[in-house]
Amino acid sequence: MIKYFDLIYNICTISTSSTNINNKMRIQIDTNLSTPLFNQLMDQIKKAVMDGLLKPGDSLPSIRQLANDLELNHNTVAKAYRLLERDSVIQTKGYRGTSIHVDAIQNSTVNMNASITTKLGKTIKSLRKSGATDSEIRIAFSIMMKN
Amino acid sequence: MNIDFLLYIVLFSQIMFLSYYYPRRMLIRIHTIFKNYPPDEFPKLYPESIDKYRKLAKRYQIMNHLMIGLGLGLILWFYVTPRTGGWDQVIIFWYFMIQFIPNIGLELWAMKYHNAMRLLNQDTQKEAVLQPRRLTDFASKSLLGTVFVIYVIFVGFIAYVDQFDYSWFSGYLTVLIISGTYLFFGLIIYRTMYGKVKNPHQSYEDRKIDIQTLIRQVISIAIAVTFYAMLQISLKALGIESFKAVTISLYFHVIGFLSMQWPRLDFINFDVYKDKPDLTK
Repeated sequence: MIKYFDLIYNICTISTSSTNINNKMRIQIDTNLSTPLFNQLMDQIKKAVMDGLLKPGDSLPSIRQLANDLELNHNTVAKAYRLLERDSVIQTKGYRGTSIHVDAIQNSTVNMNASITTKLGKTIKSLRKSGATDSEIRIAFSIMMKN
Repeated sequence: MNIDFLLYIVLFSQIMFLSYYYPRRMLIRIHTIFKNYPPDEFPKLYPESIDKYRKLAKRYQIMNHLMIGLGLGLILWFYVTPRTGGWDQVIIFWYFMIQFIPNIGLELWAMKYHNAMRLLNQDTQKEAVLQPRRLTDFASKSLLGTVFVIYVIFVGFIAYVDQFDYSWFSGYLTVLIISGTYLFFGLIIYRTMYGKVKNPHQSYEDRKIDIQTLIRQVISIAIAVTFYAMLQISLKALGIESFKAVTISLYFHVIGFLSMQWPRLDFINFDVYKDKPDLTK
C-alpha cells in the first residue's frame, strides 16, 4: 500500500518541480537609504528604461502587487507611478494595467528635480539681484505654495 | 462484494493514507530540512529554537497516531454495531474533519513561523520583479478552460436532473453552493498571487513555484468538488445511496493526494537562509 501511495506521490511532486515563468527586470529598494522610497522606485524604473531592460509597451505590475512584493505602503508605489505617469514614462490604460510609455526612453532622461532646482535657482538669483531679502523670498514662496 | 466490506477497505485506506502516509511524507520532509539545513548554517530558517520545531513535529506525529486509533475504532464500531448505513456518510465526513485537525494545526504553526520570520527580518533591501503576475503564468489556458467546461457541464447536469422533480433535490441551490466554492477558491488564488509576502527570505523563483503549486492544487480540488457533487446527485437519483459512504471516502483520498503536491526540496533555494558574510571583518 505504501509503495502504491509513493508512486502517486512521485507523480504529484514531479508535476510541481518547475515553472516556466520568465524572469524580467528586478527592482531593489533599500529602506536604510536617505533617498525617499518612491524616488528609488522612480529612478530604477527610469534606469531600466534607459538601459533597455524595459521597452515601450512592456507591462508593469499593479500597485498592489509591487507594494506587497516590496513590503511597502501602497501609497508609496502609487505616488511613484503617478509621478512616472506625469513624466510620460509609464501609462495607465484602465483594465489593461500599467505599461511603459511609447516615448519613455526620451522622457526618462528628463530629471524633473534638476529642472525645478535650476528654474528656482534662477528666479531666486534674480529676486536677490532686485533687492529682495531671503526671508521675504521664503514668506512669498510659502504663500504661493499654500495657494 | 458486500458493500460493508468495501466500506471497511476504503475507510482503512483513508485512515492509512491521511493519518499515516501523508504525515509520514510530511515528517520526512521536515526532518530532511532539519538534517540538511541545520540552524548553524541556515540561521534565517529557524526564527526560534530547532528543539521547539522538533517538539511540534513530534506532536504532529502523535496526533496522527491518535487519528489512526480513532479511525480503527470507527471501523470496529461499524463492524459490531447493527446499522442501516444511512448515517455512514455523515460519520465518515466528520471523521475526516477530525482526521485533518493535525494538518490544520500544522498550517497554523506555519503562519506563526512566517510571522516570527518577518519580525526577526533585519534586511533593509527588498527586491521585486517588474513583471505583472497573471493567472495564465501559473495555470495553462487548457487547465483553466477545463475548469470552465466542467462548471458548464455541472450547471447543465443540474438543469437536467431538475426536470425530474425529485423531492430531495435542491436544484439551483447546489449550483449556488458550488459557485460559492469557486468564488472562495478564486479569492484564495487572488490572495496568493497579489497578497503580502509570507516568507521574507524566500527567493522570487521559489515563491513562483509556491504560487503555481497552490493554484494547481486549488483548481484540481475545484474540479474534484464539482465531480463529487455530480456523483452524489447521480447516486441518489439512481437509488444506490449505499455507495455514498464509499464515494465520500474515495473523495477524501483525492483531496489528500491533491493537497500533497509540495514543491520538491532539491528545487528550493536554501542559500537565502544563510547569514550574509560580514564584510567588516
